Amino acid sequence: MRLILGLETSCDETAAALVTHDGDIRSNVVASQAVLHARFGGVVPEVASRRHLELVAPVIREALAEARASLDDVELVAVTRGPGLIGALLVGLSAAKALAWGRGLPLAAVDHLHGHVASLYLEPAPLEPPFLCLLATGGHTLLLDVRARSGYRSVGTTIDDAAGEAFDKGARLLGLGYPGGAALDRLAADGDPEAFDFPVARLDGLDFSFSGVKTALLYAVRALDAGELERRRADLAASYQRAIVRALVERTRAAAEQLGHERIAVVGGVAANSELRASLAEAVLAPLELCTDNAAMIASAARYLTPVAPPGFLELDAYAAA
Amino acid sequence: MRRGLVLAFDTATPIAASALVRDGEVLGERASRAASVLADADDLLRGAGLAPADLDALVVGTGPGSFTGIRIGLAAARGLALALGIPAAGVSTLAALAAASPGGLPVIDAQRREVFTLVDGEPVARSPAELDFEPGTILIGDGAVRYRPELEAAGAEIPPDRDVVHVPRARFHVLLAGDFGDADLVEPIYVRAPDAEKAIA
Ligand SMILES: [Zn+2]
Repeated sequence: MRLILGLETSCDETAAALVTHDGDIRSNVVASQAVLHARFGGVVPEVASRRHLELVAPVIREALAEARASLDDVELVAVTRGPGLIGALLVGLSAAKALAWGRGLPLAAVDHLHGHVASLYLEPAPLEPPFLCLLATGGHTLLLDVRARSGYRSVGTTIDDAAGEAFDKGARLLGLGYPGGAALDRLAADGDPEAFDFPVARLDGLDFSFSGVKTALLYAVRALDAGELERRRADLAASYQRAIVRALVERTRAAAEQLGHERIAVVGGVAANSELRASLAEAVLAPLELCTDNAAMIASAARYLTPVAPPGFLELDAYAAA
Repeated sequence: MRRGLVLAFDTATPIAASALVRDGEVLGERASRAASVLADADDLLRGAGLAPADLDALVVGTGPGSFTGIRIGLAAARGLALALGIPAAGVSTLAALAAASPGGLPVIDAQRREVFTLVDGEPVARSPAELDFEPGTILIGDGAVRYRPELEAAGAEIPPDRDVVHVPRARFHVLLAGDFGDADLVEPIYVRAPDAEKAIA
């Protein structure tokens, strides 16, 4: 076997995967820390970094075992270099460098966002550029002009909260805990999306803004007494979700039209949102298990990069911001 | 101490240390930054005409010190141990400092007006004013250097700022290493809980 070992530790998932050069996923192990961070109401960088250190070697061993492979089958190590939580990134980067150096293997340092896009290039239904990609996660909301598998060009971004962050914050306002995006989606299914009018700021160009809609939800929640809030929680969730999804869909379609793209793809955790999937029915969506952070997408992106031979990669540093 | 070719490194403090030791003989030592510790190791091996695959065991500094620094070292040790199928041992950064200066009390800068030191052999974080030592005790480490005036006023003997005893040296990690085993079982010594844990505790 000739395999790429991917490693991802940029936020609160410790992940390792084995992928072939053809984009076949042989294993894709994700150890989520969501439960660990729930009691803090968000990801705590120091807590995440400590957990990554505990999990980094076990997830690699598990990925090898699931693929029925050994390190002798690995011929390239791919690791997320940024953007993300710097302390968390450094755990994965340090382990990956040591592993590659110890085995005399080349290393590919992968941009996390490129990784999300490269989730679309995996088997069984790999997508061929060009396409317009909406990348929506808890940390990013980007419109990407994708012309080749080796990269992307950003044409729009959020000027404040990310879409996934807006869902999580909305969920918290509705008492759904953290992370609450999925719970908000479920609650919204029982509500009337037209019950409340939550305005989403319309910016010039292709940028997004979600802080206003979050504030509108806050005021709506405050205006209701406890009993009424309980009765109308589903309506609030549905209306809030509709507002965010509508903004995402409008901007994404506008970007595709401006750039002359016939195809739209959606990647990132927000691609799991049922309303987004229904509203942007023409879009190509990555499989759900590849939407959230994982290492198969990192190994996939590495297929289109030039790896660095040892010891050239030993001085590589991580970066927090894109 | 283990026989064979041993690579040791400690990235817990601002000056990262590494050493290559064969059957107790120090083949080379380096001092740089945490991010460069594997590049240093590569240099040391090349200088001796050797390669990573020749390593028989690892020794890694476990702190206390910078949280991120400790993790860079331990993650590297775990990745390397996995890559080579070799055992690892952990040695506390305080113990390695103390070994270089018998009778000395190790004092590592812990930021926030505190230092890491040993009390009854246990690592703790203390304000410099709370340190308990006999007058004439030799204090070593970057914490001793940083708080020199007040510690000397309390009776400490502190070697000159540039003395090598203030910096961990990885040859001592090899000397102190006892139990070699699975690198995953080598635990970091953070001493402090994450701030968020304290906030909800
Ligand atoms: Zn992500």
